[in-house]
Amino acid sequence: LGRSSRDTRGRRAQVRFTVLRVQPKESMKNLRHGRNKVLFLLAAALLVALLVALALGNRTTHGIKIGVLYSLSGTMAVSEKPIVDAVMLAVEEANQTGGVDGARIETIVTDCRSDDVYCAQQAERLITHDGVQALFGCSRSGCLKAVKPVVEKHHSLLFYPGQDEGLDQSANIVYTGAAPNQQIIPMVNWAMQQRGKRAYLIGSDDAFPRAVNQIIKKLLLAQDGQLVAERYAPLGERNLDASVREIVAQHPDFVVNTLSGDSNLYLFRALQKRGVRAQDIPVFSTNIAEAELAVIGPEVMAGHYAVWNYFQSIKNAENRSFVDRFRRRFGKERVLDDPMEASYIGVRLWVNAMRAAKNPDVSSVKTILARQTLSAPEGIVAVDASSFHLWKQVRIGIARADAQFEIIGQSGRSIAPAPLPFFIPHTGSAPMVGVTP
Amino acid sequence: VRISTRLWLLFLLVAVLPLGLFSYFNLQEDEGTLRAGTLETMSVQADKKVIQVKDYLAEREREVRMLARTPQVIDGISGIQDAYIAGLQNAGYIRADAKLHQFFERYIEESGLFLDVYLISKNGEVVYTQKHAADLATNLLEGPWSGSQLAQAFLNVRMTLEPLISGYDYYEPSKSPALFIAAPVMDNGKFVGVFAAQLGNELFYRVATDATGLGQSGEVELARLDGDSVLYTTPLKYHADSAMKFRQSRQQNKTVPMFDALSGESGEGVRTDYRDKAVVAAWRYLPELDWGMVVKIDAEEALASLIKKRNLLLETFFGLLLFAGLIAYSFGRQISVPLNGLVQTANEVADGHLSKRANESVPGELGQFARAFNNMTAKLEGFHKTLEERITERTRELSSANEELRRHQHLLNEAQRLGQLGIWELNLNSGEFKLSDEMFQIFGLDRKSCITYQNLVDAIHPDDHDMVNLAQTKSLESKQPYDIQYRLLLAGAHVKWVRALCGSDLDVYGKPVRSVGMVQDITAQKLAEETLRIASIAFESQESLVITDADGVILRVNQAFTKSTGYAADEVVGQTPRLLKSGRHDEGFYRRMWKSIMQTGSWHGEIWDRRKDGVVYPKLLTITAVKGNDGAVTHYVGSHIDITERKVAEEKIQNLAFYDYLTNLPNRRLLMDRLQHALVSSVRSGRHGALLFMDLDNFKAINDTLGHAIGDLLLQQVAQRLISCVRESDTVARLGGDEFVVMLEGLGEDPLEAAAGTEAFGEKILAILNQPYVLATHELHSTPSVGATLFHGHARGAEELLKQADIAMYQAKRAGRNSLRFFDPKMQDAINANAILEEELRKALESGQLQLHYQIQVDGSCHAVGVEALIRWMHPERGPVSPVQFIPLAEKAGLIMPIGDWVLETACAQLNAWQHDVLARDLILAVNVSARQFHQSNFAAKVRAVLQRHAVRPARLKLELTESLLLEDVDDAIATMNALKEIGVQFSLDDFGTGYSSLQYLKRLPLDQLKIDQSFVRDIATDSSDKSIVSTIIAMARSLNLGVIAEGVETEEQRQFLLDSGCTHYQGYLFGRPLPIEQFEALLKRS
Repeated sequence: LGRSSRDTRGRRAQVRFTVLRVQPKESMKNLRHGRNKVLFLLAAALLVALLVALALGNRTTHGIKIGVLYSLSGTMAVSEKPIVDAVMLAVEEANQTGGVDGARIETIVTDCRSDDVYCAQQAERLITHDGVQALFGCSRSGCLKAVKPVVEKHHSLLFYPGQDEGLDQSANIVYTGAAPNQQIIPMVNWAMQQRGKRAYLIGSDDAFPRAVNQIIKKLLLAQDGQLVAERYAPLGERNLDASVREIVAQHPDFVVNTLSGDSNLYLFRALQKRGVRAQDIPVFSTNIAEAELAVIGPEVMAGHYAVWNYFQSIKNAENRSFVDRFRRRFGKERVLDDPMEASYIGVRLWVNAMRAAKNPDVSSVKTILARQTLSAPEGIVAVDASSFHLWKQVRIGIARADAQFEIIGQSGRSIAPAPLPFFIPHTGSAPMVGVTP
Repeated sequence: VRISTRLWLLFLLVAVLPLGLFSYFNLQEDEGTLRAGTLETMSVQADKKVIQVKDYLAEREREVRMLARTPQVIDGISGIQDAYIAGLQNAGYIRADAKLHQFFERYIEESGLFLDVYLISKNGEVVYTQKHAADLATNLLEGPWSGSQLAQAFLNVRMTLEPLISGYDYYEPSKSPALFIAAPVMDNGKFVGVFAAQLGNELFYRVATDATGLGQSGEVELARLDGDSVLYTTPLKYHADSAMKFRQSRQQNKTVPMFDALSGESGEGVRTDYRDKAVVAAWRYLPELDWGMVVKIDAEEALASLIKKRNLLLETFFGLLLFAGLIAYSFGRQISVPLNGLVQTANEVADGHLSKRANESVPGELGQFARAFNNMTAKLEGFHKTLEERITERTRELSSANEELRRHQHLLNEAQRLGQLGIWELNLNSGEFKLSDEMFQIFGLDRKSCITYQNLVDAIHPDDHDMVNLAQTKSLESKQPYDIQYRLLLAGAHVKWVRALCGSDLDVYGKPVRSVGMVQDITAQKLAEETLRIASIAFESQESLVITDADGVILRVNQAFTKSTGYAADEVVGQTPRLLKSGRHDEGFYRRMWKSIMQTGSWHGEIWDRRKDGVVYPKLLTITAVKGNDGAVTHYVGSHIDITERKVAEEKIQNLAFYDYLTNLPNRRLLMDRLQHALVSSVRSGRHGALLFMDLDNFKAINDTLGHAIGDLLLQQVAQRLISCVRESDTVARLGGDEFVVMLEGLGEDPLEAAAGTEAFGEKILAILNQPYVLATHELHSTPSVGATLFHGHARGAEELLKQADIAMYQAKRAGRNSLRFFDPKMQDAINANAILEEELRKALESGQLQLHYQIQVDGSCHAVGVEALIRWMHPERGPVSPVQFIPLAEKAGLIMPIGDWVLETACAQLNAWQHDVLARDLILAVNVSARQFHQSNFAAKVRAVLQRHAVRPARLKLELTESLLLEDVDDAIATMNALKEIGVQFSLDDFGTGYSSLQYLKRLPLDQLKIDQSFVRDIATDSSDKSIVSTIIAMARSLNLGVIAEGVETEEQRQFLLDSGCTHYQGYLFGRPLPIEQFEALLKRS
């Protein structure tokens, strides 16, 4: 403002000079004198403003540390590296909007090397040595099982974005991925309604598939379904011809695939080689998100199904903005998937809780966290205070040729998490019968 | 800026602004504190209410979960279902209904926990309700209430098998808004139906209307989304009858906090509510209901004290502003009014009204200033008058001088027009540019257009630009005018030559200030010069030119003529062209030449002339008569080219076609030509001729080891030696490569005599070519093989004779090289027969005439353990052809590879076929492999691929190799064998004992088995040395840990001996001949 008013003065003075024909030098001198006075006043005002701003802004700020525990090397690196990017995006966005009460959030990223035991050691080091406020890590239940005792021992907090088979709960873990009733149960029910009652189960010989298949078998029983076969392949198995031959021979109504890692690629190749078309025997996979779909090759998997809470193809403003922000930060070609979104939500929930909490200790943060709700890319999510799982949407996707999933069914509103499915009686926690109100 | 305005601004800045700022910050601080306090209150209230709702719902859900698991519900749903089918009036149903009614009484009628409960079958039939409302006995999937929240809840429970809380909506059968909690009913792990309970709005209303702690204006809103708008679910304080009726759409109310709550966010802030009123609010989302909650208080009330203070401060501030403004304005006017009067007077004086005067009656400095101004104006008026008189006089003088100047100008223009000469002048300081009329003419410019110096520069031909620039630069440097000629490129690509002169005036620093130039059109002059120059250059062309007068006396010759004939110009001028005559042409030739010139005006043709040094040479001459205007010949022009070189080249090309470039010997074409002639002349003379065909035995090796250059030298020396020992009438030719042919003629009438002569000559060739050769630094030895054939008459064609000599040469080679052989007709027949067989073999492979026969291999107790595949050729006409006959042929014809591949392929296919045959399932199939096949680089991969293609276990395949094959390249063989061994393929060493049988390599080879050659086995009963050889082989095999098989076992006696010696496996007619597959399989069955 000061400058433009000065310019205007200068121009008007010159106009007057030509009209009046007074001595120019005198006039310039007067003018400069006047301008100096204004400048002096403005400088004084600026100085005062600066002092006030300093006094107000003079709050000491030091960073808050969080530990990021994912495999950057080894077999899990392909799936977990992108999760770190999603965490970083959430942290950067939080820092851009003021961090936690002005304190920057600092991330300590640690490579788990796809080794659960090593991961647990790193978690311990992060808590005791680096003094992190919370951990964000693990995408498989195997890793979670190894890290759980550590976070419980130190009464820390772990945000876990993976699927959870629901059989192993902890007060120190926030589960931002799907509970069984938010992925597997609706998936199998939907398949039975749409395709028929005969199910073929194939999975890697690992904790998660075995636990999931236990649930599915109970579900088949409950809904008059029929188990055609239940097969397990060693982790990383490439030869699935025997199972595929069996699938061709038995012709089940659908296949539930809980294979993890590379085996998926070989399963779908073998199916295609045998001429099994998706419309004849559809495969419902629990471990194939957009990242894996791109690796398997959409041409091989097109027409088969996956069920998640989040797909990149969700059409709402929140998700569009999320995809845009992520790509602007990490590259146009990047793909987002469910575990990435789940980890992103985890950070946001934690940040919101930290901002609201008066005291940053774990129990205060957990109290606040228990009533957090959030408008997430997948829709509204809310923390369930009793289980520390999230209310989430369920979506059924069909693999498309462009390496994305087309959403063909969704729950419409967020579903309450049930880590322990109601329809399976649980010994010990079974309620007493006939209680009077 | 006016003085009054400036004063006013200054007041504002110094007095009012700091005051304003201070009040503002103070107000801000207060507002912040107050607002934070209110927000905190709202937030606490909101959380409290959220927990109240959550607890209520959780408690009800727990009840429903428990009830769904009670035996009453589980048994009830199955029991009543059966009764239900029979109808509601059925006694069974009434009994079951009464029992359930009693059970649920305490949850509904007694405690009011639920409004109603429902039992729903898994097909959606509502089989029981407590209230017996309109929904009983309807189907939720297709009945009248299929769109209700109850139906929705039923569907969701069926999909997830998990209890849930439904959406909240008006429920027609109950005639009120309702909410349902539903849970699946499981009977022994099977899904049998859904239990649901209905909740009313009582608690929500209570929560919404309880405004404790929210002041006068506070309220609690609860709402859910309905499409894109908000639907309030409970009564609002400021909107009558709003519950489930009052809607608000999103677009026009962007800051309504309820929208934030319903998007899943929670927070606090100052916003506007549904009344568009500012409120302090906290908002929350309730996932259980999918509802939003807003707890708020009007900002007016919350911030009342603040607003009061703000208003006071604002009033004070504006009052001060007004006061300061008024004072500043009246003070400014005292100065600005008289000053404006002065300004007006001064403006009028400036506009020429010199008689105007300012008002001097102003007090103070301004009055003094007005007096001084008036004084100045009076003096100015006097000066003005004197000046006007002087101007009138000067104008008169100037007009007469102008007239004179115009006359001079006209004359100058006339002169320039006549001389095509233009003048220009450029003032370099002002850029002013003047030019005379003729300039427009020269540059083809429009007289009316605006011409600059740049137009002249642009008109310069682009090729001359640099030259003109250079001249200009030089002129400026040397301070001398330039005088140059250059081209102009004018509109329409019109080119003009001009001469340009230009000089510049320099100032004291040497900088040009003014340039004057002259431009003259010299196009016509240039054109004439150019024509002359071109003619003289053209005359000095590559062609020799001579010009004579009408009498043939030479007037002029060019440089090319001197070069071509050797005569300098002064030696021939004055002479006639007869000087050049070679004497090769007769008078008639020259007469014809002159006749042509007379008639057509010119002559063209080849002529031989003599040079000054006496050499006669050919030239291509053209003579043209030049005629004057009257048609009479005035001059002759002769032009010629020396065509000596062309003649030589033609001859060379002729040579290349018939002679070998390397040795200069006749090539095949010339040889055949001469052979034709020789055949004809031998008929005439009755004498024999002979054709000797030879090639060098080791030429390829020499070429490969010493290089082609040495090879070429050798060929040249051979050619020389051959020429040295023939007569002139004989022909030595090179057919290509190291093949030479000598043709002898006139050998004698008696064939025997001729043959003897030929043989003698052949020996001579052998002797002379056996001499050592010295090639560059190498001394080497080479031997030829020579084939000879005699000819007499043309009973046999030239081609056939050459072929005979070739065959004979091949025989000489077979006989051990470095020798001479005559052609033998029997040999020819054998070769022809082989060629036919080879052709047939090729067809046999394609048409499936090849077969595999199988010979059984047994162990000591005569159990079949293996089989050897043997190839057979069933020729459609000749019958079976022995492998001994056709395998070498296949080797030669390059068919051994496809045949080998076919054998391997067929054998593996057979193995695959046997996989389901109990008898043949465990037989190991032995296949013979040829050396060529085995040493292919990809042999191992090939075998692997075949095995894979036929899905055959590699251990069932045994490859039989011969010693000679392995010895060819032992390391390579071991590598290949190891690669196959790795996957389980077995190896047997065939024909063992007939070759080297070196223990050294036997140890290194990864073999499984030795095969004792049948030649040892045959005489085993009678020949003692064979006996000991066989025993030794068996002992050796045992010590090397190898299996042994004896082949060719024909008698029981032989078998017994072998058995005694420790042999483990046998093969031979005693056990079975090689048989076609069907018979072999029959044999297997029998045994």
